[in-house]
Amino acid sequence: MAAMALKGIRVVDFTWVVAGPVATRMLADNGAEVIKVERKIPGYMGPRKVGLQPDLNRNKLSVAINMAEPRGVELARELVRISDLVIDNFSARVMRGWGMDYESLRKIKPDIICISMSGLGHTGPRRDYVSYGPTLQSLTGFTRLMTDPNGEPAGYGYSFSDLAGGLAGGFVALSALWHRRRTGQGQFIDLSQMEALTGYLGPGLLDISVNGREQSPVDWRAQEKPAAPYGVYRCQPSDGDDDRWIVISVGSQAEWNRFKNAIGAPPWVDDTKFHTLYLRMRNREELDRQVASWTANHQAEAAMTILQRAGVPAGLVENGVDLCTRDPQLQFRNFWAAVKRPDGSDTYVSGIPYRLSATPGAIRSNAPEVGENNEYVLGELLGLSPAEREELYAHQVVWH
Amino acid sequence: MFADLGADVIKVEPPGGDDGRRIAPFVDDRPHPDRSLFFWFYNLNKRSLTLDLESERGRELLCELARGADVVIENFGPGRADAMGLGWARLHELNPALVLCSISPFGADGPYRDYLADDAVLTAMGGMLYVNGYPGRPPVRPLGLQAYHASAHYGAIATLCALFARDQDGAGQWIDLSMQAATAGALEHVVGSFFQNGQPERRRGTLHWARFFRAGKCRDGYVLHCTIGDWTSLLEWVRGDDAAQDLITPEWHEHDHRAKHAEHLFDVLDQWVVDKPRDEIVARAQLLRQPYAAVRFPGELFKDEQLIARGYFVEVEHPELGRSFHYPGAPALMHGTPWRAYRRPPLVGEHNEAILCDELGLAREELATLIAEGIV
Repeated sequence: MAAMALKGIRVVDFTWVVAGPVATRMLADNGAEVIKVERKIPGYMGPRKVGLQPDLNRNKLSVAINMAEPRGVELARELVRISDLVIDNFSARVMRGWGMDYESLRKIKPDIICISMSGLGHTGPRRDYVSYGPTLQSLTGFTRLMTDPNGEPAGYGYSFSDLAGGLAGGFVALSALWHRRRTGQGQFIDLSQMEALTGYLGPGLLDISVNGREQSPVDWRAQEKPAAPYGVYRCQPSDGDDDRWIVISVGSQAEWNRFKNAIGAPPWVDDTKFHTLYLRMRNREELDRQVASWTANHQAEAAMTILQRAGVPAGLVENGVDLCTRDPQLQFRNFWAAVKRPDGSDTYVSGIPYRLSATPGAIRSNAPEVGENNEYVLGELLGLSPAEREELYAHQVVWH
Repeated sequence: MFADLGADVIKVEPPGGDDGRRIAPFVDDRPHPDRSLFFWFYNLNKRSLTLDLESERGRELLCELARGADVVIENFGPGRADAMGLGWARLHELNPALVLCSISPFGADGPYRDYLADDAVLTAMGGMLYVNGYPGRPPVRPLGLQAYHASAHYGAIATLCALFARDQDGAGQWIDLSMQAATAGALEHVVGSFFQNGQPERRRGTLHWARFFRAGKCRDGYVLHCTIGDWTSLLEWVRGDDAAQDLITPEWHEHDHRAKHAEHLFDVLDQWVVDKPRDEIVARAQLLRQPYAAVRFPGELFKDEQLIARGYFVEVEHPELGRSFHYPGAPALMHGTPWRAYRRPPLVGEHNEAILCDELGLAREELATLIAEGIV
């Protein structure tokens, strides 16, 4: 059996916040040695050993190098010399300012791969635009089109954009490593998170560019297929919680027939205005009212079970408790992985969504405290003596 | 994603074409398997082979193809490929170096293994849907088929990892990907927040969970407010417009105070922008390094000076229609291995002859027979 898939690959990781760490998480989960080069910012983005940080930064190492010091930059460059990939999500100026841009680094490591995951890219008139996930979601149309029935923006209580950028970053990193393995050549990759996100609207954008539509009618009902009933329906409260919902998705006529039987074939299902998909879509409002009257009398899990057993796509709208503690499928597949808190107790992170039969990835360690692996990086990797390391700490070139 | 970087991706479709070809929108709103823009977007740069996998001969030909392939990717559903004699055991025997990536809604085992799901159901069961929308109102579906896209990315990443592992010992392997888990692995805050606080995250409208962003209605649309930039310069601006109300008190200088009282803060900022034009607010804000943004419609992306300057939209020629169209382009500018649009999406079965006769060595007469029998 092979070792972990990416064993032997070393990544110098300057990324922070969310998007960059998502990209390097994929690499670390599959065995790459990912070394975060970080500043010491107390409490930034929450504690390291519980919550969001373990989710983003498990399996990584951390060295706290002060890049404002010339000797710090020198250390980082020495680290690059023995690494395969350098990745950041700063705006264009930062890495160049340190002399850590691709053109500088290829002089000391000719086959290095550099990936910059900035918000809007390293070129173009808006390369210095200040952006975060919600900014990019606004610029691309996600925020505007995710509306309530009243047409007001209703969405994005979180930065999906950071995940889109991070997933794209993981993919291009592996693609570039693959190319290097075949050709011996490194490269620079200029990833604009806005562009990575824009691709998620592909068919809608083609509708605009091909059909000249002012606005694509992408809405919650028409993203993938014509269907009715189709949507979110409120279910019976459960343990006093009335925020319980189910998604039901009835596309084909066969699914409709199964749906009718599953809900006990009440008289309204045979009304001629619901006979075909076309009619069900035309009379959607009335159909939705009828379906909602059925779901209102069922708990969400029970309704899902009834429908799925009959062969109708339906799913509980899982909240954090459902997802992390109750969902039997995610538990069966051991999706939640335990990592240790400093007191020895367990906390959990979202695991690896795929299983590789021969070289499964693994969650091996919790996220590092900033600088947790200083000694390993300076001593073992860079070969500095204890006295040299002490001097670096003493001069705050590396933060303890 | 693989085809865009130069892999030869053969899309194996049932005779008549993949179901994706029946999904709207269509060119000029005329439904036809070769005119689906949904299919176009997801199948750029690929070749098409039609093959009836219900037939013995169709399956034999598929096995021939798999013998010479690096990767097979399928999403038939758990157990289906096995039942057709095209599962891991068979393909691995034929080609020990092959990587098989199986993508299914809930994975190949477990209590929900046979549950049916589309993107909407997966966003629900992957924890994404619940946190979108306003409290007290129904959850709002995330835009952009996010469960599918997250699954696709994880699938591509897992496949590349398997190819790296193959370099170590020459052996292929089987990937079993759960789309529900991929969705749960693409949530920003939901999981970490639950394991830290023991409480589920709730819907907050457009108020971001970190409480520094919210959309607000202005004169001609919406802007995204942001209170994470330099507070003094933002406050000066608002004060200059006599709209700061109680925000002038010193505690608002504190980051934590602004987060804690975000609802009130954004209410005041909403009143401040209500009569201002969107683009004027955003232009001035960005000059002040305030991460404000215009809440735009996707149509505006085609006029976006940044995307244009970076050549984001690429022209793809469709000779049989006598027209060229602008497609969304590269997710990243890869200077050594550029993303390219080098082949428009395939017509149904467009490459049958090239693949079966020129590459697999079938006689042209045999192809004619297969076509007559409806196998190709």
